[in-house]
Amino acid sequence: MCTPAAGRGRVRLNVGGRVFETTTATLASAGRDTMLGAMLDASWNASHDDAACGGGGSAAAEYFIDRDPACFAVLLDLLRTGGLHVPRGVPEATLYREALYYGLLDRVRAARLGDFDGDRLRLAASVPGCAPGDGTAVRAAPDGGCCVAHGGAVRVYNWMLEERRPVYYPGHAPVNDAAYLDAATLLVAARERPGRLGDDGGVAAFSALTGGLRHRFRVAHDRQPRSFTAGALTFDDGGCSFFASCKGRFNEYGIGVWDANTGEQADFFYEPPGCALGDADRLQWLDGTGTLMVATMFPRTDSSFISLLDFRDKSVVWSWSDVGTPASLEDKHAVHAVVMEDGRSVCVINQYDDLGFLDLRSSAGGVRWRSRSKLATSGKTKALVSEEVCYPKLATYGGQLFASTGDTVSVFSGPDHVLTSTLRGGQGGAICDFSIGGDRLFALHSEENVFDVWETPPPAII
Amino acid sequence: MMNGGGGGGQKKRAPRIEPFRHRVETDPKFFDKSWRKLHDAIREIYNHNASGLSFEELYRTAYNMVLNKFAPQLYEKLTENMKEHLEDMRTCIDAAQGGLFLEELQRKWNDHNKALTMIRDILMYMDRTYIPTNKKTPVFDHGLELWRDTIVRSPTIQGRLSDTLLELIHSERTGEVINRGLMRTTTKMLMDLGLSVYQDDFERPFLEVSASFYSGESQQFIECCACGEYLKQAERRLSEESERVSQYLDVKTHEKITAVVVNEMLANHMQRLILMENSGLVNMLVEDRYEDLTRMYTLFNHVPDGLTTIRSVMASHIKDTGKSLVTDPERLKDPVDFVQRLLNMKDKYDNIINVSFSNDKSFLNALNSSFEHFINLNNRSPEFISLFVDDKLRKGVKEANEEDLETVLDKVMMLFRYLQEKDLFEKYYKQHLAKRLLSGRAASDDSERSMLVKLKTECGYQFTSKLEGMFTDLKTSEDTTQGFYASTSSELLADAPTISVQILTTGSWPTQTCNTCNLPPEIVSVSEKFRAYYLGTHNGRRLTWQTNMGHADIKATFGNGSKHELNVSTYQMCVLMLFNSSDVLTYREIEQSTAIPAADLKRCLQSLALVKGKQVLRKEPMSRDIADDDSFFVNDKFTSKLFKVKIGTVAAQKETDPEKLETRQRVEEDRKPQIEAAIVRIMKSRRVLDHNSIMMEVTKQLQPRFMPNPVVIKKRIESLIEREFLERDKTDRKMYRYLA
Repeated sequence: MCTPAAGRGRVRLNVGGRVFETTTATLASAGRDTMLGAMLDASWNASHDDAACGGGGSAAAEYFIDRDPACFAVLLDLLRTGGLHVPRGVPEATLYREALYYGLLDRVRAARLGDFDGDRLRLAASVPGCAPGDGTAVRAAPDGGCCVAHGGAVRVYNWMLEERRPVYYPGHAPVNDAAYLDAATLLVAARERPGRLGDDGGVAAFSALTGGLRHRFRVAHDRQPRSFTAGALTFDDGGCSFFASCKGRFNEYGIGVWDANTGEQADFFYEPPGCALGDADRLQWLDGTGTLMVATMFPRTDSSFISLLDFRDKSVVWSWSDVGTPASLEDKHAVHAVVMEDGRSVCVINQYDDLGFLDLRSSAGGVRWRSRSKLATSGKTKALVSEEVCYPKLATYGGQLFASTGDTVSVFSGPDHVLTSTLRGGQGGAICDFSIGGDRLFALHSEENVFDVWETPPPAII
Repeated sequence: MMNGGGGGGQKKRAPRIEPFRHRVETDPKFFDKSWRKLHDAIREIYNHNASGLSFEELYRTAYNMVLNKFAPQLYEKLTENMKEHLEDMRTCIDAAQGGLFLEELQRKWNDHNKALTMIRDILMYMDRTYIPTNKKTPVFDHGLELWRDTIVRSPTIQGRLSDTLLELIHSERTGEVINRGLMRTTTKMLMDLGLSVYQDDFERPFLEVSASFYSGESQQFIECCACGEYLKQAERRLSEESERVSQYLDVKTHEKITAVVVNEMLANHMQRLILMENSGLVNMLVEDRYEDLTRMYTLFNHVPDGLTTIRSVMASHIKDTGKSLVTDPERLKDPVDFVQRLLNMKDKYDNIINVSFSNDKSFLNALNSSFEHFINLNNRSPEFISLFVDDKLRKGVKEANEEDLETVLDKVMMLFRYLQEKDLFEKYYKQHLAKRLLSGRAASDDSERSMLVKLKTECGYQFTSKLEGMFTDLKTSEDTTQGFYASTSSELLADAPTISVQILTTGSWPTQTCNTCNLPPEIVSVSEKFRAYYLGTHNGRRLTWQTNMGHADIKATFGNGSKHELNVSTYQMCVLMLFNSSDVLTYREIEQSTAIPAADLKRCLQSLALVKGKQVLRKEPMSRDIADDDSFFVNDKFTSKLFKVKIGTVAAQKETDPEKLETRQRVEEDRKPQIEAAIVRIMKSRRVLDHNSIMMEVTKQLQPRFMPNPVVIKKRIESLIEREFLERDKTDRKMYRYLA
């Protein structure tokens, strides 16, 4: 006779020699599409009891799994509690490998990355890079991975921060910007180099998993396909189409629009006189109004220029420029801009780390610089500004405003944007770019190619 | 060859002698060994013999293969192996005969599905790692693709499968009972294989076959069925197909099959069905077949242009019947009946549209425009409608209560709305109202006023101001009469007849050529006193007596001693009073002494002498027509059961032809200033305008009252040019310029 004593729903697992006892419900919570779920499924246990009794003669159903018990203990704990606790002896890489074996990697990721909160970030890792030159941009992937663009390559990391095959733009054209269409697809904007054949630069989609080229996006002017330099990239709210600032060889400057699904060019906003669109180094889509913010900032151009474009009637609905102020390095120039999440104002920052705001509801009026906006670190870093050209950058996320200044990322909260946290990583010097996504903040340092990964740990239970 | 089981590697290698060597880091046989293990397991799975298999072991084996980068080979081998199993299954399915074919197919499909799930379980690690990075089809979907290519689309099965399905559906359509469960699982299989498989391998042929089936059936039905029958059949077929879809087809097919049935059974025969003789739409309308009409409406709602066709057929039918009604000379004899028939007809179609055509706005519009069309075909419609209202509002005619009266009046207003010549109606209404008011026959002040309010809301203040003036006149007249009697001493009036004077403002009332007759002296004296009183209290007024509109109550004592009170008109009173002083009078004598216009006098004599039971006078000779020399006596033998006798006037309610002509002329005359006013109003604001625009604007402005005739407008423009209100542009003769 077998199993009456074992009780309903009890399972014994012998993992690499260590016996675990748990319930079928716990294991089934992993899902039918995991190894444990399949193992317990009826189709594999048609007459299991007989087999188990006949074979081992033990009282309870026992499964043998030829894997490492220490990692299994962590994963079983995850299935039981939903929390991930990794003891000192278990290397993360091993745990991830085991999780992949059981099909639990997604669960581990979800447990690992808590909901993003700018004020509770902890430095989780500093990943050294091996790029020869300075990094251009770091971009967070929706699943917690990231990519670092520098020179002619984009280095891609999965959420476990393992490096995948890098992405090379065809012809190793220098990369200007990158953006994740989804966790598996990366868009890359590249610069056209003089003296090359027509097929250089532009925008292309790559597989983030394999680094393989998926599609090249073309621009046609008067039905003639033309090569171009692509600057900044951004998506509209649905992710159906994306925008890129474009500079063609024959003065075809403007903003190109492509359908992300078909890969075809959907529209082109030609640069009107007095607007610098093709050189833009930042694009941002405004959900509420269906407009696109285009910012072309000092020092790329002599003066900064910000505008809102409405593609439906091809009009510039709002614009601001600091043209006319004398252009020398000592003067205050807005060097980066971001539209606030309420869509009512644009936040700008100058090379002395002062924050300023522009009202989007009126076209008159200049930047309202914040009087007490000296950031915590500005006094020290000011001297460095001249030698080290890492201009500050801005981002918004979850109602908070983030600004990179020197080697620090500052977090501002609330309607009045009060400084609430400062994030300072280990080494690597000034931060040249940062990006938030997939519940992580990535900060790329200008020296040594290190990028820091900041995560939100799970909150205290009580 | 010997075929060893999973563990028999040693034995198999025995024939080949190999030098013994130490295991190198990777076993060169690693892949073959591992695959053999999986291969055997898959075989057992397909043989329903999976109980002896260890999932963990198989999973680990597959994992190791992927880990050692054998995933591409593994995928390839798996494809090959599944194909082999599917080939075997196909042989079994091919062998199944007749009705067992679908069952066998179903059984194998279930087997394959079950096996596929287990194979996917084993290869789960490959699905997670190798598949997404290499853009391969996941194992489960790959298995479905193989099933599709090897079984469903194999040359032996593809045609047979769709034929079998279509045959079963055909037999169900012809009334047989089929195994719906099997149908459902089979179509479900096709859907699981992807929408394109379902559409290409089943849905398209299904729709084609259905189209030809229904085309044939509809041809057959239409030859022998009445429209109603046919529609019932179509409805039944549609609901059958809906049920079929819900039972065993994909939801998306519903729309398509419905379109096929609608197209074959309805759209292709639409004209014929709607116009079908003896049973088509017209017959349904005539016979009030609500159910059939509802069916027709709902069915043809699916057909493009279906409702438009129904609507236009209905409209032309209404126009035809309406036209024959309004132009039927029989109907012209009885205006009240005429309008009642119109109302009944309106009610009938209102009901039909409400009940059967779901109160469709466009149908209501069609109904309205049809009515508007035919009502105006008869230019006496305004008069008749006014007569109808008169009939309803006259005292004592109907015992109907106020509420009923209200609804009738509301309905009449509907008809009124259709009239183009609203001013003509106003004219008649005024006349009839005047008669009602003056003869004191208005049934109820409330009803009269409510009718006025209706007209006012319909046509505005201007339209009813004069009518309201009539009511005010009556009220003030009453006061004046009272004032007269109060102010005049009773001695002065002793023995004189009591008079009640109604003072009518000129202009508010229908003007009638006034032929003042010679009143009897008794009346003259009292009326002169009243005139003196009235002119004394009101300055600058003029009084004329409208003797043709009054009435009188006189007491008469006949030769036989009977006493009666006679209710007569003023004219009749004048005649009767003559007999106070003489016994016999000839027509000529009467005419001379009363000076009543001949036509009126003849009519009033006829009513006094020739109406049976009310012969107050005797006539010699006793003929109908009255000649100059005919003589009249007081009928001494006059008897009546009643004390009060009402002597009517032989008066045509309806206008006689000359009267009609006169009214029309008057209306035409009245229109002239209105048209001119409109032209001037328009030109004053526009200053310069071309001919066509003037025509358009004038028509637009006057439409609520009447449809101005373009010729008349043109004449009015010319007249205005003559009178120098306008001038023609010197360069462009078509332009007019306003002069002020």
